[in-house]
Amino acid sequence: MDFGIIELDTDQQRFQEYACEVLDGIVTDQVRDKLRRSGELFDEGMIAALGAKGLAQPGWPVEDGGAGLDPVRLRIFDTELLRRGIASIGGDMIWKAVARYGVPDLVAELKPQFAAGTVHFCAGFTEPDGGSDIAAAKVRAVRDGDEWVINGSKIFTTSAHQCQYVFLITRTDPEQPKHRGLTMFLVPLSTPGIEIRAVHTFGGERTNIVYYGDVRVPDRYRLGRVNDGWTVLRGPLDAEHDFAQQHDGLRETFARQMMRRSPIYRSFDAALDWARTARRPDGTHPIDDPAVRTRLGRVAADLEMAECAEGPLGRVASADAMMRCSAELVDLVGTEALLPYGADGAVGDGAVDDAHRFAQGAATYGGTVEVFREMIAQHVLGLPRAERPGSRAFISSGREAAGAARALGDRPGATPGTAVVQLAGTT
Amino acid sequence: MDHFELRYSDFSLDDEQTVMRDAFRDFFTRECPATAVLATEPVGHDGQLWARLMGLGVTSMGVPAASGGDGASLVDLVVLAEEYGAVLAPVPLISQVVVGRLLAAVEGVGGIGEVLTGVIAGDRPVVVAPQPTLGRRQLVPDASLARDVVVLDGTSLVLVSLPTAAPHVPNQGSTPLAWFDPATGSRRVLAEGSVAAGLHARAMREWKLLTAAALVAMTESALRIAVEFAKTRQTMGVPIGSLQGVAFPLADVAINVGATRNLVRKAAWMAEHEPASRPDLIPKAFATAARIATHGTTTAAHMQGGLGYTTEADASLYFLRAKGWSVLAGDPNDDYRAVGDLLAAGAV
Repeated sequence: MDFGIIELDTDQQRFQEYACEVLDGIVTDQVRDKLRRSGELFDEGMIAALGAKGLAQPGWPVEDGGAGLDPVRLRIFDTELLRRGIASIGGDMIWKAVARYGVPDLVAELKPQFAAGTVHFCAGFTEPDGGSDIAAAKVRAVRDGDEWVINGSKIFTTSAHQCQYVFLITRTDPEQPKHRGLTMFLVPLSTPGIEIRAVHTFGGERTNIVYYGDVRVPDRYRLGRVNDGWTVLRGPLDAEHDFAQQHDGLRETFARQMMRRSPIYRSFDAALDWARTARRPDGTHPIDDPAVRTRLGRVAADLEMAECAEGPLGRVASADAMMRCSAELVDLVGTEALLPYGADGAVGDGAVDDAHRFAQGAATYGGTVEVFREMIAQHVLGLPRAERPGSRAFISSGREAAGAARALGDRPGATPGTAVVQLAGTT
Repeated sequence: MDHFELRYSDFSLDDEQTVMRDAFRDFFTRECPATAVLATEPVGHDGQLWARLMGLGVTSMGVPAASGGDGASLVDLVVLAEEYGAVLAPVPLISQVVVGRLLAAVEGVGGIGEVLTGVIAGDRPVVVAPQPTLGRRQLVPDASLARDVVVLDGTSLVLVSLPTAAPHVPNQGSTPLAWFDPATGSRRVLAEGSVAAGLHARAMREWKLLTAAALVAMTESALRIAVEFAKTRQTMGVPIGSLQGVAFPLADVAINVGATRNLVRKAAWMAEHEPASRPDLIPKAFATAARIATHGTTTAAHMQGGLGYTTEADASLYFLRAKGWSVLAGDPNDDYRAVGDLLAAGAV
């Protein structure tokens, strides 16, 4: 057990100063304002500028285009990014799959570009009628000589309009049980037949729906074996995902990472500041009222508790706490809490409004909290798994699913829920 | 608060703590089955179990070495309290650990060493009144076992010695609760002024920390009972635990238990190593533990339907003690206000 300050040696302090200097030059108010207004996860110019200093993939070795940062320096860098309102740089999870399963010349071509921050990947997993059940993918890929022809649509392909490639899960054999007929591709988004349309959330994010109409992709963009896409999706994640890891103490809990990437702490600080400074009609400050202090204390305790939850528990605890607490902070502040970023009189420059909207997405992105409750019930508590026809179903209709699926056996952990858990660590 | 402070975030027990936990767990599991808890109702004290616990040194553990104790940390004591709470052990463990530390911190008062010796030996318990006297009687935890009561009377911290321990009053948690009347008994002043208030406040903080640990562990035990039931009880041809309407509330209890246990441990670590930097953590941990214990034991009892509502069900033991332990120092929501007070003062 240890919650002490991470003491930095002189070299590490020097790195911290360097990181601050670099980030202050790159993550400007202009960039932050642009991101807030666009709802995008990243700014291409910012990533390229970081990439030029090896900081798009700061943990990579210098010879691979990274900065060779050790875990302490990575934590410092990550913290300084967060301090400047940048959640994460991302793409690393997808790169691991590309590096492991892509053909060598594709990997050789993309690696320096990815390190330079000039190539970005997005995830094409969710389908409009599929929700969190990624393995139920229906987007079809059909082989035609040396090419594949892809048809269908994906939703929540966040950043697709800024990326060069989509890490796409497709159905290549509808006759096989659902986890077995899947193939992964890294599809160039410039390919004819791809149409990207913006979808906006009430949390302020911009995501996309992507349509694939007779999109012809050379076989070199296939990742892993045909019909083995589930392995490609899971493989690299098994090695390094948040929930399998024992905490080394250097990383914060998954829940705290999720919460720090949201506006919830800014909302809390803004509400506290409001309670200290606003005036009620009788001239007192809201914080002079014991009821207000009790409510603020309760919110602070709820957030602290959620932060302490580890693994999949933290996925649900953080989403629940963010939803509950952000709503309570809106009530506490009242009408002014409804004013968004940029509005006259917005509390905390819109943070209280922002956090309440954003929190609702936290219960869904990376898989809904219900998927995680199901996992906790089965894998933490050991409760029996319900026999539901769809969990082992074939995609094509009119075939007897259950018997054959059972004969093939369900690999332990190869449930949609598990995959979603892994992905949640990186979205 | 600086949200960007670079701190470690390691909730794990070290090897020594793990060995200690396992030893206490073995002891409590072996020596304190649910039947033994039930058998001590309504008083909630098992003298033989208490005597056997003396062999493990639980009352000397938390006392500093300079005062004849073993100098265990608050983290170690939290580990002990978790194991105690998990089996609802009917012994005055938390009150005696806390008062031992309080007495050891009293300076310059003759005869206190003997009082502390009695606490460490387990044969003359001393209890702490949670509230200042205000000139009227109050309910004091474990007071039906103790002739000596430490109470904050105005600006003085006083040890009141009664001719006999006050009579037990029946209560929801079946604990050795008794009325304490400050007008009775002989008085010895332990400390005055800010020292007195500080000693009492620290004792209550530690009582809340250890009680929070016990409440979390109690909730986990109740959860385990409910989970076993949900695995085996059938409805419509399937175990009820395979239904989301049953499984999800249990998952929520598991989330609360995991998160709050970590919060309590973090509070203990900070109180031990950096007491000034996070005074908000113990009130946060205590108020949260009280809340999740009520929620978790309620869920666990209800999971067994009518059976869980009967005194035959072990889950009922947990349900009754969730409140029976958590309101012994008053309304746990006061601790949310205490956090708010610290926020208002800019102390965290």
